[in-house]
Amino acid sequence: MSVQIVMDRSGDTRHEFDVTDARAVALAERRFKELTGKGFRAVALTKDGDQGRLLGRFDPQVEETLFIPQLQGG
Amino acid sequence: MERVVQVLRALLRRALGEDARDPPALVDVIIESAAEPRLWAHFSNGYRTSAPLLPQDCFAFCERHGAWDVESLRLALLGEGRLAYARMLEERAEMRERQGRTWVSEQMRRLGRGIAQTLRPRQDTLRFPVFGAGRAYLDERRSEAHERGMRLLKENLTATQLQQYSRYGYFEVIGGRTGKRYRIRHGRSMNIDQLDKNGRRVCGWCFFPEGNLVTGDVMLAQKVALELFETDALKIANKMW
Repeated sequence: MSVQIVMDRSGDTRHEFDVTDARAVALAERRFKELTGKGFRAVALTKDGDQGRLLGRFDPQVEETLFIPQLQGG
Repeated sequence: MERVVQVLRALLRRALGEDARDPPALVDVIIESAAEPRLWAHFSNGYRTSAPLLPQDCFAFCERHGAWDVESLRLALLGEGRLAYARMLEERAEMRERQGRTWVSEQMRRLGRGIAQTLRPRQDTLRFPVFGAGRAYLDERRSEAHERGMRLLKENLTATQLQQYSRYGYFEVIGGRTGKRYRIRHGRSMNIDQLDKNGRRVCGWCFFPEGNLVTGDVMLAQKVALELFETDALKIANKMW
């Protein structure tokens, strides 16, 4: 199982999907494109908190993808 | 120390005890000769005090000062008394200064502890007025979100960062592009310090994700941004000196 974690006002919303399920993968890919289209950055998280990897395109093999909303200066 | 001087010092201490804030000046010291001689001290605020003396004590004092008439004896006693009194006032001033320093250091210690507490992770609170059951509901929702955000943050910190954060309320990040050190303090804005190689603050940066996110999310977004897209993040950020 892979999970897409979207940061939001509730803390985060998690969308799990089975990488062997084509429909679930397609849905996850659509979500990926929607969110990155809105300005979210997709990051492949690591297990131990080390530096992750910025994702330019959907990768179903990534176990945990974090979606970070667009940044703004304060 | 001569017995007369000891008695005199005891009388002077009494005067200091009488008026602790504004000590009176020593005006006169006399020996009243009666069946039993008494040493008297007079002060500028009208306070008078006395103590008995033994004849042999008076004799020893007179012999040392060569004061064999009443006036010479009075002057000798007054001189000795003023000297002792000045020393006592100095000692008292020093003691007060020490107490004051202790008080200041205690206040500084408390202040330091207060700052440490404010830096420690804490529950977010609502910043707008909501009353009654609605407030409780919103507080609960906000609290759940806060906890979820903190959990996500802690799951994605390295062991060192987690230790720093638990202990000090901040953690350090190395910029992915420049290798510069940043300190992310607990908070949602104006909470990033850029550090030099000695760990001193060079400047501050302020950026955060859109959407009024909870603290944990904001801090995680800041960590990831500095590690993975440092240049872009700092382009958006406001720099603070």
